[in-house]
Amino acid sequence: MTSSTAERSLSERFPRLAAGRSPIGGGRLDVRELERLRVRARGFAEAHVRPRALEIDRRTGEDPGWFDWDLVRAGAEAGMLSFLIPKPAGGTGGMATQAAVVMEELCAACPGIALIFGAHALGISPLLLGGPSQWDGVLAELVASERSGEPQLMACAITEPEAGTDVEDPDLLRRARITSHARRVPGGFRLNATKRFISNGSVARWITVLMATDPRRPAETWTCFLVDTRSEGFAVSRVEHKMGQRACPAAELTFDEVFVPDERIVGREGDGAAATMIVLACSRPPVGAIATGIARGAYERVLGWLEEDRAARGLLERQHVQLALAGMEEEIHLARQVYMDAATELDRRALGGVMSHRGVRALGHVPAGVRGRAPVRGWLASDRARDATVALLHRTTSERAVTRSLALSSMAKARGGDVAMRVTGAALELVGLRAGPVRTELEKLWRDAKLTQIYEGTNQLNRLEVYRGLCRGETIGCLPPLRPIHLDADGDAHPNGRARAHPDADALRHASVDADGGRS
Amino acid sequence: MSPTTTAERAELRMMARELARRELIPRAASLDAGGQDALHECWRLLVELGLDRALLSEQHGGVELSVLDLLVTIEELAVGDGGIAMCVLLCNAALATLGDEQLAEVPWGARWVLVPATPEVEVTVSGGRLDGRLACALGAHGAHGLVVLLDGPAPVAWAVDAGAAGSKLERDLAQLGLRAAPAASVELTGVACAPAADGSDGYDTAISAASALALLRAGTAAIAHGIARRAYEMALEYAHARQQGGVAIVEHDAVSDMLSAMAVRLACWPGIAADHGSEIDQAQALAVKIAATDAAVASTTDAVQVFGGTGYMVETGIEKLMRDAKYCQLFPEPNWVAHDELMRIERAGRGAARARST
Repeated sequence: MTSSTAERSLSERFPRLAAGRSPIGGGRLDVRELERLRVRARGFAEAHVRPRALEIDRRTGEDPGWFDWDLVRAGAEAGMLSFLIPKPAGGTGGMATQAAVVMEELCAACPGIALIFGAHALGISPLLLGGPSQWDGVLAELVASERSGEPQLMACAITEPEAGTDVEDPDLLRRARITSHARRVPGGFRLNATKRFISNGSVARWITVLMATDPRRPAETWTCFLVDTRSEGFAVSRVEHKMGQRACPAAELTFDEVFVPDERIVGREGDGAAATMIVLACSRPPVGAIATGIARGAYERVLGWLEEDRAARGLLERQHVQLALAGMEEEIHLARQVYMDAATELDRRALGGVMSHRGVRALGHVPAGVRGRAPVRGWLASDRARDATVALLHRTTSERAVTRSLALSSMAKARGGDVAMRVTGAALELVGLRAGPVRTELEKLWRDAKLTQIYEGTNQLNRLEVYRGLCRGETIGCLPPLRPIHLDADGDAHPNGRARAHPDADALRHASVDADGGRS
Repeated sequence: MSPTTTAERAELRMMARELARRELIPRAASLDAGGQDALHECWRLLVELGLDRALLSEQHGGVELSVLDLLVTIEELAVGDGGIAMCVLLCNAALATLGDEQLAEVPWGARWVLVPATPEVEVTVSGGRLDGRLACALGAHGAHGLVVLLDGPAPVAWAVDAGAAGSKLERDLAQLGLRAAPAASVELTGVACAPAADGSDGYDTAISAASALALLRAGTAAIAHGIARRAYEMALEYAHARQQGGVAIVEHDAVSDMLSAMAVRLACWPGIAADHGSEIDQAQALAVKIAATDAAVASTTDAVQVFGGTGYMVETGIEKLMRDAKYCQLFPEPNWVAHDELMRIERAGRGAARARST
C-alpha cells in the first residue's frame, strides 16, 4: 500500500461529516460508530475478500453453482450478515447509510463477494418493513445462525422470465406479462412461479418472494411472501453463467405449489408493489455505493501499479495519465456524495421516523421472551398489527418524502453505475494488455461494473424515476395500499398514467407531518 | 497484388459474410470458451479459402488480395467472431513480412502471428538473438511461428519459430476478449531469429514492417466495426421481440435512443483507404482504429444494456461482444497511446515540412 492509496476515513471521504458526531440514520447512529463499522468491513475485505477474489471468480466461471461458504462464515464473524437487522432482533440496527458504507468497502475488494452480503440485505429489507411482527421470527433466527458459525443467507425474488424492469414500477407492473400466481387456500397460499436472476437464490435458506394473488391485477395484488427454501415444491432450476459478479450465484427458481402459511405473508396482502418501491429506495443507495466501490477499487489498483511496477516507470510523469487519474478521483468523489445524500435522506427523512418511533422503540425494550408469549405473538401476527404498521408508516412519512428519496436513490444508482463503467474502462486502458496481474484484476472489475448499470432497475428506468420525483416533483403512490387504476383499451393507466396515492392515505397520515415528509 | 473490381469485392464480401453466418456464429460460444476443436475447425475452413495467406502471391499459395480486400473480409468475419477475424489478421500481417525463403518453409495451414513489441523495454535484439518477455500476445498460443515487430521510428520485424530453443509460451488463461485468438505470455531467452521485413527497399516482402503495423491497426478497426455491427443486429432483434409494459421495448425511447446511437456510430464508419490497395497511411490507421474501437465499446455496452439482465448472461452471446470490443480498444496499443502516436506523426510531418521550406 502506498501513501497515495492509503485508507481514507469517512471524514475524509465525506467532508461534511467531519464534525465527528453528526447524527445520521434517523439520529440513531453517530459518525464514529459508522466509522467503526467501515473499519470492520475494511478489515474483513482486506483479510478475506481481496485475497480470494480472483480464485473465486475463476472457479465460478467454470462452475457457476460453486459457492464459498467459508467466506460467508468469515463474513458472519465480522458481522456482515446482521448489520441491518434491528437491535431487538439481535442485530445492530443499521439502515441504508450503514449498508452503503459497508458495500463500498467490500466492493473495492470484490463486488461479486460483496453482492452475497448485499443480496442477503435485500432479502431482509421487506421484513424490516414488516415491523416488530418480524423481529422474533426469521430475523432472530438469522442472527442466531450468524453467531453459531453456521450462517444462513437470504434472497429476494422479484424478477420473472417475462418481466424484469416491469416488476420494479407499479405502472409497468399493471401491463406486465406476469406468470406468477399465489393462490389462496385454507391457512395460506400456494405459490406457482418461475423467478429469474435471483442473487443468492441457490444458497438462501429463506427468500422473500413477490408475486400476484390475482395475475389479472398484478399491481393491486402484488404480495410479499417469506418462503422457506426447504418447502416442498421449491427448486433451483438453474444457476446462471454471468459475465461478472460471479461469486454471488444468480439462480432461476421454480415454485410448484409451494405452501406459505398466512403468518409468513410479509406485510399485508396486496401491499407488495408499494413495498417494492420502498425496498428499492432502500437498496439503490447501497447499489450506488457498490458501483463507487468498484470504481475506487480500479482507481487504487491502477494508481498502485503506476507507482510501484517497473513496467509503468515514467508514466506518472505524463499529463495524460495525471489527467486521467484526476478524472477518476473526481468521478468517485462525486458518486460517493450522491449515494451518501440518498442514503441519509432515506434514513433521516423518509424512513427514519418509522424506525425511531417511540412506540417501536418501546416494543424493542420488551424482552424477546415476553414478545414470544402466545398472546403477544398472536397480536403481532394479526391483521390489526399489520394495519397498525401501515398506519405508522403513514404517520411518520409521506408519499412525497418517499418519492423524493426514491428519486435520489435512483440518481445515486445510475450515476454510480456509469462512473464504475467509466473508471474501470479508463483504468484498463491506462495499463493495457501488457500489464500483468493488475490487468486481470481490472478486467474483472470492468466485467463486474457492467451489472451495476442493470440491476435494481436499469439506469434508464432509474433516470425516469429522477425525472418524476425531482424534475417534475411528482408524488408517486408508494405507500400501501395502492389505489386500483383502470386501464383503457390501449392499456394506459388513468389518470396521468401514473400510480396515485390511495385516497385514504391522507386520512391515515398524522396531522403533524409536514408537507415535505419531515415531522413537525 | 491485383486490383480488385467493385463487383469482385462485393462477391468477396458476400463469401465472407456467408462464412461468418454459417460457420462462425454457431461456433462463437465454443470459441469464446477456449474450445481448441472449434478453433481448428474454423482455421481449416479459412485455410481452404486461402484467407490465412490472403496477401501473398500464388507462388506462396496466396490469393493476392489487396490490403483493402483483406480488411473487408476481416470485417465480415468479425461479425461472426472477432477472435477468428483477429487470427486471420495476425497471420496475414505476419506472413506478409516474411521473405521468399522464409515463406517457402512455412507449411500449408500453419498459423503465424504478428506480435508488436516495444524495443529495449520488452524485447532486445543482439547478434541475431531475441531476449525479453511479452504478456498477452494475442493469438500466440498454439501458433506455429511468431513475427516480433519492434515498433519505433523505423520498425523492424524478426521471425521466430514457436518451438525454437529458448522460447517459452504459456497460455494466458485470464484473457478477457477475442478468446478465439488465444493469447500467451512469451518468454524469449537468446532465441535465434531471422530478420523479416525491415523497411529497406532491397528486402522483398509483401509489405514493410511499418505497413504491417498500420495493417494491424486498420485491421483491428475493421474487426471492431464488425463486432459493433453484430451487436446492433442482435440488440435490434431483441428490442423488437422483448415486451415491456405491454409493448415491444423498441417502442420505449430509453431503448430506441440507444439503438439509434448504435446506428449512428455504424454510419460514421469512415472505412479505410489505401494507396494502390496496399499502403495504409499510418496516421489514418491510427485515427480509424481509435474511432472504430471507441465506437465498438460504446455500442456493445449499449447492446448489453438493451438486453438488460439477460444480456449479462454468457449464454446470450452479447456480453462476449463487449469483451471482444474492449480488447480491440487495447490492441495493438491502448487508445491513449495511439492518440499519442498520432500526434507524434503530426509533429514529425510538420517538422519535415518546415525543414523543406528552409
